[in-house]
Amino acid sequence: MVTSQQNGHADEDLSEVSVKLSRTTTWSGTPTENFYRPDEPDPAYDEALGDPGTFPYTRGSFPQMYRSRMWTLRNIVGYGSPEDTADGIAQSLKAGSAAVDVVLDTVSTQGLDPDHPVLRPDVGLEGASVSSINDLERLLAHIDITKTDVAWHVTFNIYPMVVAYARKHGLSLSDVHGSHMPDYLRLNLDGGGQKFVSPEFGHRLAIDTLEFVARNTPKWSCGFPQAYNLRERGTTPVGEIALGMAIVRKTFTDLTERGVRIDEVAPRMAWVSTADIDLFEEVAKFRALRRIWARTMKEEFGATDPRSMRLRIACHTSGRSLVYQQPLNNLTRAAIETLAAILGGVQSVETCTFDEPIGIPTHEARELATRTQLILAHEVGAARTADPLGGSYYVEALTDRVEADALALLAKIEDHGLLRGIEDGSIESMMDDENLLREEEIQSGERIVIGVNAFQPSRENPPHRFKVDEASVDAHVERFIREKSARDPHRLEQALRAVFDSARGDRNTQDAMADAFLVGATVGEVSGVQRLACGMRYDPFGVVESPFDFH
Amino acid sequence: MNTRKIRCVLGMLASDKHSKGIRTLARIFRDHGLEVVYLGEHNTARQLASVAVSEDADFVGVSFSTGDYVRRVQELIDALRDVGGGEIAVVAGGLIHPEDVPTLEAMGVAGVFGPGSDKPQILEFIDRTFAPAPASEPNA
Repeated sequence: MVTSQQNGHADEDLSEVSVKLSRTTTWSGTPTENFYRPDEPDPAYDEALGDPGTFPYTRGSFPQMYRSRMWTLRNIVGYGSPEDTADGIAQSLKAGSAAVDVVLDTVSTQGLDPDHPVLRPDVGLEGASVSSINDLERLLAHIDITKTDVAWHVTFNIYPMVVAYARKHGLSLSDVHGSHMPDYLRLNLDGGGQKFVSPEFGHRLAIDTLEFVARNTPKWSCGFPQAYNLRERGTTPVGEIALGMAIVRKTFTDLTERGVRIDEVAPRMAWVSTADIDLFEEVAKFRALRRIWARTMKEEFGATDPRSMRLRIACHTSGRSLVYQQPLNNLTRAAIETLAAILGGVQSVETCTFDEPIGIPTHEARELATRTQLILAHEVGAARTADPLGGSYYVEALTDRVEADALALLAKIEDHGLLRGIEDGSIESMMDDENLLREEEIQSGERIVIGVNAFQPSRENPPHRFKVDEASVDAHVERFIREKSARDPHRLEQALRAVFDSARGDRNTQDAMADAFLVGATVGEVSGVQRLACGMRYDPFGVVESPFDFH
Repeated sequence: MNTRKIRCVLGMLASDKHSKGIRTLARIFRDHGLEVVYLGEHNTARQLASVAVSEDADFVGVSFSTGDYVRRVQELIDALRDVGGGEIAVVAGGLIHPEDVPTLEAMGVAGVFGPGSDKPQILEFIDRTFAPAPASEPNA
């Protein structure tokens, strides 16, 4: 989710970015400025807003916004075997994509193996199956990770696996770039459940990852917090900021206690956000979020580097706003949400496909999502000037309100205790309340959703479907089993013991994980051994016995 | 008068974790007077089936966001039969494509609620299908 420009490679990569600002005059020829501001000096303006690119960054993180740094058009690739996804990546790069976003299947993303007796039907279904360094090598067959920015939509395991890949191929860790999303706490809130990782250990893994990233891979970035998932699970824009900031504050506080300076870690972060259907409220959210982030980094964590204070935002439009009925209407919804993201000043956008409520997106739907962004870039003029809604009485009032409410909710969450709120279910209960309210509003007609409770269609044709190549996945799973049996059992056990010991002790877990992947450990084994070290079951489903007897 | 409430076990199978819908439904069912045993995510079919039997459930409700629901539902039906709960109904919901509804119904699924379903429709089905029969009056 973090752009190549954000990694400091703006100049060389800009020419490849697939959305460009093609015109700074209006269609009728009127020239426009980088941004517009009050004519007279105004201390209140400077305090609350400031020009784009200046503290507190309410109006945008960069002075000229999209005139100097266009948002990155992101497309997610990931399905079937690693080779299937490698083909998809090659096509995406050939089609002009500047960067690659990879999504893994639910099995891999939850630290499980494709030969798990319960999980075979899930393998490769909603992403690529990558469970070992061999799989990673196949997926990266056409990619040089010192040159191409790969954004991994993954929390568990992927980062130490990439470190292992670099070690195996003799790449300097300082040259490796890309990003991933090491927000483990949200895993406990969006359906991950405590069977996989406890909030306490998940939080530890996040801190370990960020510490290791800060000290070893200077070109690596992190999508953190993964607030998108919190919104999809059931929070408002206010809740997104409050819960996301609670995760950030807890994590950064504990990192600084380890001696990691805020200016070492904050510049690597991109807030993973959503743009939902309420255009103005979402714009206000992005503006309030940047202001809260800037002030928090400066005033509470003592940041001095402007890059720590200016938040970059990676945005995916809202899947939950899309509905099954009359699916083509979702094109309109996704277009408005993409516009909200751009007017709100985000740094990268993935536009949802219109057919998401139906199943895995079709290729046609993906292409339409891409075209949506290109139309906004080239025809609508949405990127022509920074913070175009700044100064609107309405948007400024909404921004202030979202900020005040978010800070109040943040204080409430922190008073209760973030980890405690996750463990006792009170934060999930808050999300359930929001979802139930939404449902009740739709039922009562207070919330109109076109095609759902108003203007319903009289008849609809069944939508098209996307199918995964099963034979390819079968072959992949069989190969995975063969490769497992070909490993050196002694080296494997030694490496996994180190994983166990680091998880149980207080040494950073990432190095031992990378070493284990290097000798062929699988994600199921690494995660399973860590779970054992935390007193949990090796297999969350209680079906696979641990092959390792560590104490 | 029969005061027994409708009992259900709700949960998700395998690696599917998009639980927002089924959690919302759990609340709606409770508000409607059902007894709900909510097992959350990451269950095997056998785990769901065993709990359904031990809880004497009228039905098991499963929700899917991944596309493997036909196989998963069959596993659940088989598991129910294996643990002595063959009479317990299965209700499926979530991202279910309309083309698959006849297949699921032919497998014996009592109710299928895909993306277009709404709360009144689901509750009406539950009441109609699972409401306990009124106790007969002795010597009436």
